[in-house]
Order: sequence, then C-alpha cells, then structure tokens
Amino acid sequence: MMKKELGLFLLLAVISAITGAINPAFLSFVNLLNMANLIGLFGVFALGEGLVIITGGIDLSLGSMFALLGVVFIDLLTTYQVPWPLALLLVLMGGLALGGIQGFLITRLKMQPFIVTLCGLLIYRGAARYYTSDSTRGFGYGDEASTLSNIASGNIGGIPNTFIFLIILALVLGVLLHRSVYGRWLYAVGKNEEAARFSGINTNLVIATAYVISGGLAGVSTVMFVFYTNSVSPSSFGNFYELYAIAAAVLGGCSLRGGEGSILGIVLGTALLQVLQNLVNILGIPNSLNFAVMGTVILIGVLADQQLQARRRRKAALASLARTAPKSKDSTILQSAALPTRAGDQA
Amino acid sequence: MVTPHDAGLAVLELKGIGKEFGAIRALHGVDLRISPGEVVGLMGDNGAGKSTLVKIIAGNFPPSHGEIRFDGKPVHFGRPIDARAVGIEVVYQDLALADNLTAAANVFLGRELKRKLGPFALLDHKAMAARALELFGELRSETRPHDLVKQMSGGQRQAVAIARTRLSNAKLVMMDEPTAAISVRQVEQVLSLIHRLKEQGVAVMLISHRMPDVFAVCDRVVVMRRGEKRADKAIGDTSPEEVTSLITGAKEAA
Repeated sequence: MMKKELGLFLLLAVISAITGAINPAFLSFVNLLNMANLIGLFGVFALGEGLVIITGGIDLSLGSMFALLGVVFIDLLTTYQVPWPLALLLVLMGGLALGGIQGFLITRLKMQPFIVTLCGLLIYRGAARYYTSDSTRGFGYGDEASTLSNIASGNIGGIPNTFIFLIILALVLGVLLHRSVYGRWLYAVGKNEEAARFSGINTNLVIATAYVISGGLAGVSTVMFVFYTNSVSPSSFGNFYELYAIAAAVLGGCSLRGGEGSILGIVLGTALLQVLQNLVNILGIPNSLNFAVMGTVILIGVLADQQLQARRRRKAALASLARTAPKSKDSTILQSAALPTRAGDQA
Repeated sequence: MVTPHDAGLAVLELKGIGKEFGAIRALHGVDLRISPGEVVGLMGDNGAGKSTLVKIIAGNFPPSHGEIRFDGKPVHFGRPIDARAVGIEVVYQDLALADNLTAAANVFLGRELKRKLGPFALLDHKAMAARALELFGELRSETRPHDLVKQMSGGQRQAVAIARTRLSNAKLVMMDEPTAAISVRQVEQVLSLIHRLKEQGVAVMLISHRMPDVFAVCDRVVVMRRGEKRADKAIGDTSPEEVTSLITGAKEAA
C-alpha cells in the first residue's frame, strides 16, 4: 500500500544521486537547505490542494489568493500599522473565508470546482491589482513585523522554519487523512459521493471543509511567501503556483478523479518538483527549459504509474479468479503473488 | 408459509399509497404488508411504479396520499436517514460502495468505530475488521475485510452491501435488482444471502426482473402495473406464466 510512495522516494533518490554525481554542488549543505526551504514553502499549500483533489475537485485559485492576501497583509502591517498577530490572524481568516465561499458555491450551489476556482483565480488577481493600482507593495525600512519575519523565514539549527512547519503540518494532516473518520469520509466522497451520501455522510460538509482547509493553508503560505520575497507585485506574485501544487499532488499519487492520494506522496511530489527545478540550475540547463523538464518528468511519472497499476490489476483479477475457482492446486500461489493495492486506505 | 393476510404483526404496512409528480400519476392506492422474516418479490415492467414505491418506503420522497406504518406505528420520512433510523435499509443496484476502500471500511462507512486518544477520536481499524469478518461469517460469505472493494466479484460486493444492513440491525431490507449483471454462480451466492437474512427474521423486499430468482427465494410476489398493485399472491399459488401475463397486462389482475 506504500508502493507509490516508495517508488517516488526511489525516483527522488536516484535523480538526486545522479545530479550530485555530475555536480557535487547539488549536495552541498547550502543548496540542500535552500531546497528544504522551497519544499517547505511549496509543500504547505500543495497539501491543501491534495485534500481538495482527493474529494474529486480542484483548486485553481491558490496563486491569486497569495497575491490578494499578500497585498492586504503588507498593507495591514505598513499602512495601517496593525500589530502583526492581528494581521496574521486576519490573513488566515481571509484564506479560510475565501475557501469557505468556494466550498459553498461548489457544494450548495452545485457549481463545478474547476469553474468556481478558475473564477476565483481571475477575481482575486484582479482585486489585488486594482487594490494596489498594480504597484508593488513591500516593507519599508521599519521592522513592522520582525518577530513574525524571524519566525517565517528563520531557521532552527540551520533547518529552515518553513521546512519544519511543513513536517509538523504533514504529520497533523497525515493523522487527519489516514487515521480519522473525516479522512475516511474524504476518500469515500471522492470516489463515490452518492454512496457516501447514502451512508449518511454529510458529503457537502466534507467537501466544503476540504476547500476551507485549502484556503486556510493558502493564508499560511501567503505569510511565508511574503517574508520570503519581502514584497508583493500583485500581477506576478504566486502566478502559476496552484499548478505546482496540482503537479505535486498528482506526482504524489493523487488521482484527479478523486479518492486517491496520501500526505506522504504529496510531500514527496513537492520535493521532486523542487529538486527538478534545482537541478535545471545546477546542471546548467538553460533556465527557459525549466517548465519543459518538469512537464516531461510528470508525464513520464504518471504514465509509468498507470502502467504499473494496470499490471497489478490484471494480477489481482487473475488471483481472484483462482480464488473463486473450484480448488485448483496453483490458486494459493497466484493469491500470494497479488498483493492488494490499498490506495485510499493507507493505515 | 406466510400469507399476505397473516394476522401476525407486520413490520411494514402501506395503506392507499399514491404519488403524483405534477400531472403524472406514478402510484395509486397501493396497499402492502410485509411480516418479519418474509421475502416479498416486487415485480413489474419499467415504469410500473416499483422504483417510486421503493423510494417512498426508503424516504427519498413522501407519498402524496396514504399511510406508512412501520412496526405498527405510523411513520413519516423526510429524508432517507429517517427511514434508516427506524430500520429500513436499501441495497441499491449500483451498490453504493466506495471502490477505493476496503470491505470493512465500506461496511462501516458513515458509522465508523472510533477509539479515543486523548481529545482525538481515531478510526479503530482492528475492531471494524473483526466485526466485519463476523458479519461476513454470519452471511457465510468468504469476503475478506481487508480486500479492496474494486477487486471483488459481484457476489462479494453484494455481501458487503448486505453486511452493511446487518450492522444496523435493519428490520426491512429492500434489494434493487441484486442479481442483475452478475454471473450465474454469484446469483446463487446472493440468493443464499437473502436466505440468511430471512433466517434472522429480517423482512426482505426483492425488486427483480428475473423470474427464476423471485420464485427461488420469495414467499410472496407483488406485481405492479401502471402505478397500481395488480396482484399479491403466495408463491405457491401462482406460476411464472401467470406473473408474466400480469406484468405485461395480458391478465388484468389476480
């Protein structure tokens, strides 16, 4: 049941080893910490996106949320001199509220997730640009939120706080998704919403909650990105970031049809994406090929995974045939050869 | 043999049930009694009103006319969950199972067993698997709790769906075409599952197009045509030929 994650981990290790062999700078301490920081930054909202994808939905609005919440956050701290704990709280609430609105439109008004969040992408970006008259917002020379800045972009013993936060978050969400009733319902809703409803599950609430969590994590990510870049230009801040999250989730084993995926997989998917970006730089591949490399690896990865799954299914089908057939000698051999895949029920 | 006019306490009793959708009359004046441990076949052509009747009993929508009594008491179902609460379960044709979860997870879907860990409630995988195994044992099915539903045969999937109804101790189980689209040997399995339910005193309503299955397991057959009940006979008093002519309308009533 951890086959997918194991495969992804091996892929990550092999790519890292090859890159490291070609250019040892890849494995230098500085570079590893830099990557850890980026994995932390991109992993947090990828986890939220993953939950949404497990429900069978999608959230395209994340990058624009960063821009809107980002300019509001900086404005609160600089222009309005709001104390940072309050500004932080407001941004988190803002993320939760945007996620809540999207969840409401999708579950109550039965709109398609793609459309709702695509419109979110357009609206939030437009609102951010209008609010700032398309000008970049940044911190002045004062230290408006040095405490928060130190938390968000600091490190403990050299390890970036963003990465530490991602690990803690992954553990919490891992328990939520794989050990709690809510997680079980999320998988059920994602695969067969009707079945879940017939079982007495409030499917609307389960799905909407996923969007709210995703929005809330977008709020957290906004703050981390703001202190990473120290300024927000509303037309480009967070552009395409939702696609990184979707890519990470899909690489990590989430199916866009819903009902499949794991927290560990999403984290590994994020790590793989960041390693790929990094190796483009390190190996001196022209930066313009960055997206092309990423796209190729995702395509190959998903294709390979599909082929492997199809093979496993054939084996399992053969085994169940052998099991129900009248006692034949080789049935036990076939049975043990087909280990059931248990995506969606990682214990 | 239980007859329709058995004096015993009926688990479900319908009186004059009617349903209109706008100007369309889908059901008219349906009376029906089912006793505990009785298996009733509900037959009729497409559009005869079978699904409407089942949906009314299951609480999907209320009847326009008539009264439903369950265990002797009048009941009104606003939502399916109300019907489940009194002990009516429906096993749907498409089975309403989540393919990506295990057999045990599906049996307990929406009713998960939890164990407390401080302030948190976590899934109790062990207890659920054990109870599911017990239920499959009662049904004499070889379904394994840890197997994924998507890897199962039609018969095993039925066993999972029926185990769900045992978990809640349902008093009436309605099965919608449980033997359509599965192999002959699996049909045998499903029919024996129905026998298990009967043995445990559960009333079963079998909605089916397959005459041999109805005659194999049912005590009684009810035939619907054009929204009305045209016949309600003990299996011993009728024949597949008569039921066929009732379904097609060659014979008006019996």
